[in-house]
Amino acid sequence: MKIFNSIKWRLQIWYGLILVVVLAGFGFTAYQLERNLQFRQIDDELHRRFGVLANALHRPPPREPDENGQPFDRPPPGQFSEDGLPGQNPRPQLEFHLPEQDAHFFDASDIHSFYFIIDSREGKELARSTNAPPISAEITDEHGDSVNSIAPRMSGLPQSSKISTYKSRRETLEILPSGEMIRVGCSIAPELNDLRSIALFLTIVGGLILLIGLVGGWWIVSRSLRPVVEISAAAVKISAGDLSQRINVSEAESELGKLAAVLNSTFARLESAFAQQKQFASDAAHELRTPVAVILTQPQTALSREREAADYRQTVEACQRAAQRMRKLIGALLELARLDAGQEQMKRLDFDLSNTARDCVELIRPLADERGVKIISELTPLEIPGDSERLAQVVTNLLTNAIQYNLPDGEVRVKLEPQDGMAVLTVSDTGAGISAEDLPRVFERFYRADKSRSTGGNGLGLAISKAVVEAHGGTIEVSSEENVGTTFIVRLPI
Amino acid sequence: MRILIVEDEPDLLRSIAQALREEGYAVDTAPDGEDGFYKAENYDYDAIVLDVMLPKMDGWEILKRLRKIKKTPVLMLTARDQTRDRVKGLDSGADDYLVKPFDLDELFARLRAIIRRSANKTTNIIEIGEIKINTALRNVSLEEKPVELTAREYALVEFLALHRGEVVTRTQLYEHLFDENESSLSNLLDVHVSNVRKKLGAEFIATRRGHGYCIE
Repeated sequence: MKIFNSIKWRLQIWYGLILVVVLAGFGFTAYQLERNLQFRQIDDELHRRFGVLANALHRPPPREPDENGQPFDRPPPGQFSEDGLPGQNPRPQLEFHLPEQDAHFFDASDIHSFYFIIDSREGKELARSTNAPPISAEITDEHGDSVNSIAPRMSGLPQSSKISTYKSRRETLEILPSGEMIRVGCSIAPELNDLRSIALFLTIVGGLILLIGLVGGWWIVSRSLRPVVEISAAAVKISAGDLSQRINVSEAESELGKLAAVLNSTFARLESAFAQQKQFASDAAHELRTPVAVILTQPQTALSREREAADYRQTVEACQRAAQRMRKLIGALLELARLDAGQEQMKRLDFDLSNTARDCVELIRPLADERGVKIISELTPLEIPGDSERLAQVVTNLLTNAIQYNLPDGEVRVKLEPQDGMAVLTVSDTGAGISAEDLPRVFERFYRADKSRSTGGNGLGLAISKAVVEAHGGTIEVSSEENVGTTFIVRLPI
Repeated sequence: MRILIVEDEPDLLRSIAQALREEGYAVDTAPDGEDGFYKAENYDYDAIVLDVMLPKMDGWEILKRLRKIKKTPVLMLTARDQTRDRVKGLDSGADDYLVKPFDLDELFARLRAIIRRSANKTTNIIEIGEIKINTALRNVSLEEKPVELTAREYALVEFLALHRGEVVTRTQLYEHLFDENESSLSNLLDVHVSNVRKKLGAEFIATRRGHGYCIE
């Protein structure tokens, strides 16, 4: 079910349950304590009356008239009746006489309306108060609670005692050592009423607390989960392709706010990476289009009519140049892609960078001579760990740029020296320099300061150099002054 | 018809120029933006084929500057094929747009179309009396019979036909029929005119003394 998958609902249900259990536990305990207290008071009253009744039970004195008349035959008017039939049993019956001063204990007008029933040993009823319930307790036992376990505290008096609660009566039943059974009971309707109001009160208060708890909890959970809703909304839009989406961070300090901030910066990086990738792909396609155009149009023109052998030769040569440019470009693209993916493993062998640089200078010298550019090298022998072939590529690339963008009779200076624990390779030229506007972008792929293809480069050389140097844990930077020259500085860890 | 091509890839420039010359156009070329703008500014071309990515001055800049002074039809040539780039090209005053790599036949067709549009013609057929000129097939017929014309003669007929009713000066004709590399011998034009008159009738091209030529 959906509800059980929602964190909000699960939390709500969980603390709702806890709250219900706690409130019910408290409420029940409070109710029980109150109930026990009230019943204990009742029980004390019942025991007091039991004492009175037990005292009112006498062995009959020798039969002689009393000035007060016949108290056993004549109970106080309207209150007691006597069922005892003296002389019927072999053993003399006990006689019951409730003294006048104790009669108020069984006043029928009392809200509790205490009553008593006294049975003889044989089970015959000796006496009962007029307000005693007509049906015997044993018969109505089915309505009763389980036997109350409150032990009698009037020690010495009864041998066995039992307190029972019936519908709205509480009754104590005790058997005297002599065998008489005395029941004293009373109505507990007022107590039950009290308890009912207490229960109602507890229920209402508990319900209110539960309601407040649930509403407050809902509010807090909703509030604290709101960033999650925003995060997921933004994530949905982003996964649908709209990379410009950001999460609206309202509570920057909460845990989710921090998460949202982290996600936002991730999204920003993702977006720029995507944009770069898109730009790269479109630039790559663009670079390939022109040579393809040459390969398409040259033969088309050549084949449109009969031509001299030299014309065909020219066409084939043009196509070959275009194809070579494409091959170079594809190679560079693949290399960059591998460097990007981190697949290109750099060797980590110690080698002397000055030897490598010297080889590069010798290799490039014909180009420099052709352009009338002088190469001055100051190379301090320096061992560094790395991939000599890759770094040679970097040096050659920097030298080629320095020669190609130089003025005729210009100079190229190559310097290698240790500095602050790094190997520092500097290549500077005396060319036209790079404008301040172009300078920050020279390491970008396909970026050409002069926008022309005249130098034969593909705009990827510096991007590849940068990737190679960075794969070695080094840095490459450029500084330039227009009409003075450009300097590239490569720093590599020793 | 005289056309300027501005393109920095030498092999591409050469093949387009050669192909257009063989189609009978007079063709000038420029290898970079500055040279291209200079030529576009100083000669009245019938159309310009303009690459976008150029050294010194890019195609957008040339177009922007040129549009302030001339209405020469421009066909932009570029490697960028995103809609955004096409829209930008057309909005900044280009008459058409062709994405590299392209087919030469398509380039010719688009060039013919922008030249035709600039002369306010909607079809490839121009009819003048019994003479029909098909600018797509580059042929001319008289009373439904094809007439053999040299490329230069055809260009002369087409140019005058596209400017029908106007007096076209000899200078204009020189500028549109010959490219920068040809020495414009003054009698060369007279030879072409007289050849055309022989083939299509003496009254087809009228001479306005002191002004130039005209097709009524």
